[in-house]
Amino acid sequence: MLAPLFTLKLKQKILPRRVTIGKFDGVNPNLACATAAGKVFIHNPFSGSQMSQSATSMSRLVTSEDLVPDLYYLNIGQQISAMGAGCLGADTKDVLFVGSQTHFLAYDVHNNSDLFYRECPDGVNTIAHGYIADCNVPLVFAGGNCSISGFAEDGEDKFWTVTGDNVCSLALLDYNQDNVNELVVGSEDYEIRVFHSDEMIAEITETESVTCLAAMNGSKFGYALANGTVGVYDRNNRFWRIKSKNQAVSIFSYDLNGDGVDELITGWSSGKLDARSSHNGEVVFKDNFASAVAGIVEGDYRRDGTKQLITCSVDGEVRGYSPANKDTSHNLMDNDQEQDLIRELSQRKNNLLLELKNYSENTKAGKEVGGLKLSATTDVDGQHMGIIPANTQLQTSLQVTTETESMPSHVQLLINTTNSTVIKAVMIFAEGIFNGESHVVHPPTNGITSALSVPIFPPKDVPIDLHVKTFVGHKNSSQYHVFELSRQLPRFTLYVQAPPNTQQPRSFVSFPVNERINRVVMWINQNFLLDEEVCAIAADTELDLRLMALRTGCPIFLHMVPGTITIHCEDIDLVGDIVQALAASLNIENMSSTANFPEFIEKLKEVLVKVDEFHNVRQKLTAEMADHSNLIRSLVVRAEDARLMNDMNSMKQSYLKLYDLNRDLVNGYNIRCNNHSELLACLKIVNQGIQKAGRLRVGRPKTQVVTACRNAIKQGDVEKLFKIIECGGA
Amino acid sequence: MALVEKQLDPLFLARSYLRRRKFDSCVEICSKMLEKNPYDQCAWFMKAKALTEQVYVDEVEADTDGIAEMLMDDNSIAQVARPGTSFKKPGTSGQGTSTSQGIRPMSQSGRPVSGFVRPSTQSGRPGTMEQAIKTPRTAHTARPVTSASGRFVRLGTASMLSEPDGPFINPSQLNLAKYADRPGLNKVLFDYLFYHENDIKNSLELAALATQSSKYEDWWWKQQLGKCYYRLGLYRDAEKQFQSALKQQPTVDNYLYLAKVFVKLDQPLAALDLFEKGMEVFPGEVSLIIGSARVHEGLGDLDSSVKFYKKVFQYDASSVEAIACIGTHNFYSDMPEIALRSFRRLLQMGVVNTELYNNIGLCCFYAQQYDMSLTCFERAINLANKENVADVWYNIGHIAVGLGDSNLAYQAFQMALISDNNHAEAYNNLAVLEMRKGKVEQARAYFLSAITINQELYEAHYNLAILSEGQGDLNTSFKEVRKSLEAFAEHVDSKNLLAQLRQYFTLL
Repeated sequence: MLAPLFTLKLKQKILPRRVTIGKFDGVNPNLACATAAGKVFIHNPFSGSQMSQSATSMSRLVTSEDLVPDLYYLNIGQQISAMGAGCLGADTKDVLFVGSQTHFLAYDVHNNSDLFYRECPDGVNTIAHGYIADCNVPLVFAGGNCSISGFAEDGEDKFWTVTGDNVCSLALLDYNQDNVNELVVGSEDYEIRVFHSDEMIAEITETESVTCLAAMNGSKFGYALANGTVGVYDRNNRFWRIKSKNQAVSIFSYDLNGDGVDELITGWSSGKLDARSSHNGEVVFKDNFASAVAGIVEGDYRRDGTKQLITCSVDGEVRGYSPANKDTSHNLMDNDQEQDLIRELSQRKNNLLLELKNYSENTKAGKEVGGLKLSATTDVDGQHMGIIPANTQLQTSLQVTTETESMPSHVQLLINTTNSTVIKAVMIFAEGIFNGESHVVHPPTNGITSALSVPIFPPKDVPIDLHVKTFVGHKNSSQYHVFELSRQLPRFTLYVQAPPNTQQPRSFVSFPVNERINRVVMWINQNFLLDEEVCAIAADTELDLRLMALRTGCPIFLHMVPGTITIHCEDIDLVGDIVQALAASLNIENMSSTANFPEFIEKLKEVLVKVDEFHNVRQKLTAEMADHSNLIRSLVVRAEDARLMNDMNSMKQSYLKLYDLNRDLVNGYNIRCNNHSELLACLKIVNQGIQKAGRLRVGRPKTQVVTACRNAIKQGDVEKLFKIIECGGA
Repeated sequence: MALVEKQLDPLFLARSYLRRRKFDSCVEICSKMLEKNPYDQCAWFMKAKALTEQVYVDEVEADTDGIAEMLMDDNSIAQVARPGTSFKKPGTSGQGTSTSQGIRPMSQSGRPVSGFVRPSTQSGRPGTMEQAIKTPRTAHTARPVTSASGRFVRLGTASMLSEPDGPFINPSQLNLAKYADRPGLNKVLFDYLFYHENDIKNSLELAALATQSSKYEDWWWKQQLGKCYYRLGLYRDAEKQFQSALKQQPTVDNYLYLAKVFVKLDQPLAALDLFEKGMEVFPGEVSLIIGSARVHEGLGDLDSSVKFYKKVFQYDASSVEAIACIGTHNFYSDMPEIALRSFRRLLQMGVVNTELYNNIGLCCFYAQQYDMSLTCFERAINLANKENVADVWYNIGHIAVGLGDSNLAYQAFQMALISDNNHAEAYNNLAVLEMRKGKVEQARAYFLSAITINQELYEAHYNLAILSEGQGDLNTSFKEVRKSLEAFAEHVDSKNLLAQLRQYFTLL
């Protein structure tokens, strides 16, 4: 059992995920945590010796038991949403980064001065620090509302890009082992995206918002989801994952058992702390806090030359662990491993015995059936034992069903057996389409037949692997055979051929493709779930495909002549999806396109006008509030003055005024809040708009579009923005 | 003359008046022109300009910390910063002995006395609100309740003067968006609103609109936005605007404004850094060097401060502030003759006031030119007004003590108290004289009144402690010596007394 090296009680609330450590004076690591009321406290374990000198005269006044003297507070004055620390520039001192919903502050703690203080209208949800490709200075990354910014020492944003949704987590690691870091971004739309510089090189879909990411050895990284899942990826292969009913608050990579390979340390909302092997997820160490874990960091907190694992709980308890020695590494766990092993083996033995018994009885029954011809009794017996004919097969098929009154349109998975056996139940495992990850269908006892259909509602256009387990048996047997099979749902499922009289949509995107039409046709047949195979008109010279998206009800016209593809559709998201999928399968690296989406642009225009309005209103409200707060201060002083002079009447008057003013201020604040949240929503739409425009291109043109759009918005040049969306960035 | 003026075109005449700073006449002519043609932009422009110039005060220097700002300060980030990095806790790092209270006295607000009175040198931070409210009543460091209600209200009273036909411009009826688009008129309108009307909210709106209409490319408007935010106490927003303006066009003003913001945010090192950068762009710009010196002085690092003041001399040999500060520094570094030179230079430059004669008198005394000394004090008294005569009398008493003429000293201190019965130092010295005479109870009473007036006066605490100890009242003595050490932690005599008292207590 590994005992903590040290335990500190800081007696301060710590906000979860807002814990960091940094060498703010260039030498000693200090813990910095966000606490209530927009404050940050910094714990300096080494200040004791310096403090005691200046405090000699005071030492009698302070009873040191009640106070933690090494804490000091920074007043940020805003709700803190993210914290970080790291070196920017040549200085060896670490800089403290504090993010709030509106601002980003880089603060030099040692010198009590700002490095920079920037407005971030997109908010700061998470902060990461380090080097990335194409930039030779360290940057600090702030992930906000659909956007990621990377700031250099002078507050200049050297890096900026958009993602599909709110960014929840960031990590820097060498994903493709090319010796430069990639930026890994987890967001609220369940995606983990990997950016090399500002180009997206990989995308992994998960099943919930990705709340934490942690870089591990090599190209491995740990992740945690909002539903309590924790796991490890190596590039895009998942090594393992586990799910808990608690939420992982913080994950961290640290070699706790001293074997040279980092373990994934997870701090849970229940106060549990565990270390799991990065390879198979086996628990190597466990500990418990009295309250939820707030954050995990590492640092040389005892100045003995090694880095300890430091874990903080929300109640301000701090524990430090140092890695175990090689020889003790096997028994980090509390309980005896041998006993565990014996228990596990005996369990397995029991299971095997049970299985064996089943088999032997089955063969016995089978013999009877074979030997004695069919008789009523044995038949019943056979059914009871759950024997089914050896040639029983399961057939599955996928079918698109259009909207009916009772059901929205969906994909139907039909399962039926080839003979009289019935399907008792079906279990489907698939990520991302069900609540949770599995779905069980078991018809009522009187409704059991040999065929079963399961409606599936894919929320997004992604290929999904369905792992289906079917319980097959006779009507009244108590034991069933399990048929396992997997079936892939193609990427674009909810689409059917459009009715012949459909109007061609006005919006379109067109791009050059140097591929034979046949390949595109093949791709369409693989990726769409259409009733009949598509084929090119007039032998390889033209392709005309008219589809209808069932989810939104808007038509899609795909037209290809050699060299160019044109897609007509009002839904820019969908077009982006198709373009990306098509480009990926045809191995197109760089592709620019021309786009024309009048409705989308119209909407964007409206939103931009609104953003401007919100900005103006906000400015007015801010000025008003500042005015009020000045008045409030003067009233407080006046009231106090009146109190000192024993003039109770004017004191009362002052406080009455104060009360009224305060009420006004609170009202004003509410208005401001509403205004801000609406502004945020609008900005999100704008960012997503840029992202959508980017998705109509591939590779370099895509990043060009994103950067150009950003610049146009910065300059407030709306016309230019639309031009870029239409024609690309160059 | 009048004939010539009648012959001149009124527009030209108004322009001439404006240039010659005869604002009243200019306003009069412009008003007449506007009566004839209310849409005469030229007349409107000049009238606004003239009215603004009448009340214009340089924004860089106009600054007062109100009580409320000081006590309810939520702008500074670090609450307990490392010594030497914050104005709140200046110079506890003990760089150089020149900052020691034993050598250089503290001002009423617990800060080393500077040679120059300037805005916000009074900004020591009292501990409690009660203390903060009491101090301005007792001493002559009247401090407004808030900065918004203080000097700026007085500056803005120009707008409250009744004008014969209503106010010239009524901000609430203006269509600011319309004016913002007119580059010729918007700046003068802004100045009028900001300086004359003191209407910060509307100025801000106008500045914001004008910035937009100039496509965020006019640094002047950004600077004005920053000024508005600064007045409203939104220092972070002000910082953003000044930074942005600075990026576009470095100007001296901008550096000074931004440094002011950093001072407000209690980040002196950031301010120093900024001055440094500014001096690279504008080498030899005196206001930047002086700014840097002020910040150093605020941090209690007087040696560096003096270094910067000396640098000022290279560029501007007649900077009053630099001369005064260097003189004060020399005086407190035991070089009264050299200090005398500085003060004499001030006198040559035409600065004639009580304080200067008072300082020269003191210098003369310490430089052993006794004949000059008393003459100087005589002049100082002749020039003095109600507010500073007490200090002169106090200094005369001080010299009398030095000369051993305790009768004169006694009378001088009494005179000081007659003109200002809140002069804590005079009470203290009077008490010491009483103590020498053996009137212990009288002395105690004087000490107590000194203490009630100024809590920070460590001498009074220490003296009372000594007195009580002599009488055997060890408890009071212990309490007082502790307070003395609170005000001045390095005071050796207090420490010795404390050690002695501790020993007594352990013996008991």
